[in-house]
Amino acid sequence: MSEELRAQVQQVFRDVFDDPSLVLRDEMASEDIEGWDSLTHINLIVAVERKLGIKFATAEIGRTKEPGQNVGSFLRMIEAKVAAKQGVA
Amino acid sequence: MSNCRSYEERFQAYLQADAPARAGQFPEFVKALGEVAAEQGAAAASPWAGRAVGPQLDYSSLMKLRKFLSPSRDAQPAPAPRRIAVLGGPTTIQLRQLIEVFLAAERLPVEIYESEYGLFRQEILTPGSALDQFAPQVVFVATSVRDVSRLPDLNEDDPSVARMAEEEIAAWDQLWRTANTRWNATLLQNNFETPPGDVLGHYGVRHPAARKNYVHRLNGLMAQQAPAYVVLHDLHDLAAEAGAHRWFDPRFYFEFKMPCGAECLVSYAHSVVSLLRGVLGRSKKVVVVDLDNTLWGGVVGDVGPGGIKLGQGSGEGEAFLAFQRYLKELQQRGVVLAVCSKNNDQQAREPFQQRDEMVLKLSDFSCFVANYNTKADNLRRIAERLDLKLDSFVFVDDNPAERAIVRRYVPEVAVPDLPEDPAGYIRALAEQRYFETASLTREDAARTRYYSENAQRRELAAQAADLDSFLESLGMRMTVSPIDDMNVERAAQLLNKSNQFNLTTRRYTLAEVRQMAGSPQWRTLTFRLRDTLGDNGLISVILVRPEGDSLNVDTWVMSCRVLQRGVEQCARNELVALARREGCRRILGTYIPTAKNALVKDHYAKLGFTPAGADGETTFWSLEVGGEISPLTHHIQYEHSHGEVAHE
Repeated sequence: MSEELRAQVQQVFRDVFDDPSLVLRDEMASEDIEGWDSLTHINLIVAVERKLGIKFATAEIGRTKEPGQNVGSFLRMIEAKVAAKQGVA
Repeated sequence: MSNCRSYEERFQAYLQADAPARAGQFPEFVKALGEVAAEQGAAAASPWAGRAVGPQLDYSSLMKLRKFLSPSRDAQPAPAPRRIAVLGGPTTIQLRQLIEVFLAAERLPVEIYESEYGLFRQEILTPGSALDQFAPQVVFVATSVRDVSRLPDLNEDDPSVARMAEEEIAAWDQLWRTANTRWNATLLQNNFETPPGDVLGHYGVRHPAARKNYVHRLNGLMAQQAPAYVVLHDLHDLAAEAGAHRWFDPRFYFEFKMPCGAECLVSYAHSVVSLLRGVLGRSKKVVVVDLDNTLWGGVVGDVGPGGIKLGQGSGEGEAFLAFQRYLKELQQRGVVLAVCSKNNDQQAREPFQQRDEMVLKLSDFSCFVANYNTKADNLRRIAERLDLKLDSFVFVDDNPAERAIVRRYVPEVAVPDLPEDPAGYIRALAEQRYFETASLTREDAARTRYYSENAQRRELAAQAADLDSFLESLGMRMTVSPIDDMNVERAAQLLNKSNQFNLTTRRYTLAEVRQMAGSPQWRTLTFRLRDTLGDNGLISVILVRPEGDSLNVDTWVMSCRVLQRGVEQCARNELVALARREGCRRILGTYIPTAKNALVKDHYAKLGFTPAGADGETTFWSLEVGGEISPLTHHIQYEHSHGEVAHE
C-alpha cells in the first residue's frame, strides 16, 4: 500500500476518532482504537467512502469489526478498491 | 488574548466565504475550533461551530462539528425547553444526531427523547412507557414506507385496495390521537417515500395494487385525514428530490437499518429542523434582495433600464424572470420583500417603472433602499423601518463580497450562497428551507401588505400635527373575541412568534391553545384591528385565569406592528371589564424579562398597575378593580364578536 493512501486513511481515522496523533498499525483491531464502536464504525465507513470515492459491499461494511479482522485487512480491502477504481488491478 | 483576535480572524475568514470556496479550509477551521475549545472551554467554540452548520455540508463534516456544539446558553427566549421525541421506524441515531446539530445551530433549546428503532407504535400506545414519562410536546414519527403495515397483493382490486388504505390510515390516526390525548402533543409525521423498483414498471401507474400507486394513495389520504395537530413532513418529496436510488442505500438499510444513505440524512435532518422551526414560529419572514445581476442581468446604472437582461430573447434573461416569479410567489404567501441595492434611488426604480416584463412591481416591496451606504448599515435600517428582527432576514445578493460583508457584520442575517448562473438562484434559496410553516392563515397572506401600510402610517404620523389627531385620523376599529376554531391557528402563531411585546414568553402549542380555549379554568381574549388603511388582522392575544378574587394574566402578547396605537389601553379596559364580570377584585400581571422583551418592562406601570413584588428579575403587578377606576383613553372604536359597537 502506498504511503500516500495509508496517510489518507489514517487522516480519516484521526478525524472520526478525534485523535490527531493516532498512528495506524496493521495488527490493530477495533478494540485497540478508542471510540471504535458500532456507531463510529458507520461514520468511518461513510468518511472513507467519501474521501476515496469508493464503495464497500454490504458484507464488507460489517466485516471489519468481526473477530480476526484488523486494520491491516481493512487497509488491504481499501487498497484493492482504490486500485480497481484506477484500473490498475 | 492576542490569540483570541487571531482565532476570530480565522473563523471569520472561513464563515464569510461561500461553501465551494471554503470547503478546502474546513480542516483548518476545525483545527481552530479544537484549539479554542482546549484553551477557552467548549462554550467558546460552540457558537462558531454553530455558524458553520448548513445543509450544504456533508455528513462527515457535520458529525465533526457536532463534537463542538453544546446546547446554547444564550438560547432564544423560550423558558421551558421543548421536549421532542424522535420515534423511528428505521434506526434514528444518526438522524437524531444531525437533528441536534441543526437545532444547536439554530440555538433552539430542545430536549430530545429517542426510541429504539421500530418501536414507535409500542412507545406511543403503552401507558407508562419511557416515552410516556418523558411527556413529549412534539412527537416526530420518523417512519418510512417500510413501516406501512401491509402492501396490497397484485391480485387485489381497486375497492379492496381502497379499503386497505383507509384501514392503514385509521391505524396511524389512532397513534396520533393517542399521542395528542395523552401528552397534548403536536405530531410531525413523515408521509411515505416511493421505494425504487416497481415490478410493474410503467404499467404500474394503471394498476390499483402497484406499490407506487398505493404509496400515493396513502399519502393523499394522510394529507386529507390527518387532524390539524399533525404536521406532515413530506418525506416523499424529499426522497424524490434526491432521487429514489440515491436516497435509499440498501447496504446501510440491510446492515444498520438506516432510513437512507448517509449524505441524504443531512438533507433529511435539515428538512425536519426547518419544519420544526416553522412549528415554533421561527421561520424567516423577510427576503432582502439586491437588484443588478440579482433581479435582472447587467447594471442598470451603466446600461439603462432598456439595456438590462430580462425576459424573452435570452436564456439568462428568462432565468432572472423565473427568479422574480419565485420571489413573487413567496411574497404572495406572506414573505416580506425588501430591496437593498447600491444604486441611485431613481435609477434603481426605473426598470420597475419602464420594463413591462418585470414580474415584481415596486408595490411588492415593503421597503426599498437604494443608496451607497454599506449593505450592513442598510439592512439594519430596513429592519428598523419594518420593525422586524434581523434574525428573521434572508439576504440575497449575487456579489460574493457583499455576502461576505453581511455574514461578517450582520451575522444574524441568513445569507445563502448564490451561484454565478442566475438559473441556479431558485434552487439556492429553496434548498435552505427558510420559510417552512405548519399552517397558512389569511393573516400570513396579507402580512406583506401590513408592512407596506405601516410604512405609510409612519409617514402619516410624521405629517400629523400631534399623535392624537393622527390616531383619530386612522379610524381604528377593534374586534374583541375569545379564541375559537376560526382564529386559534393565528392566535397560537402569535403566541409563539412574539418576542418583543411578550410579558412572560410562555410558549403554547396549537394543541395547548385549543385546550385552553375550551377549558373552564381559562379565559382567552383576541384583538383584531382595522383602520382606514387596511385590516391589521389578529394582533394581540391575552390568556388569563380567574383564581379566587384575582384575575391572573398568564400571557399577554401583541404584534409590534401596532405599537403606539392605543391597543394596550383598549385591552386593559377589556381586562377590567372581564375581571368585574368574573367577580374578581384585582388583576395580577407578571413580567418575565428575556433578551428580547425589554420593550414591555414598564408595560403594567404604564397601564396603572402598582408593583406587587419581585422574584429575581421577574416583577409582579396588581390593579384593584373593586372601586372606581376610569377607563384608559384611546382612539379605537371597539366591537365585541357579537357585534355591539361602543365608543369611549
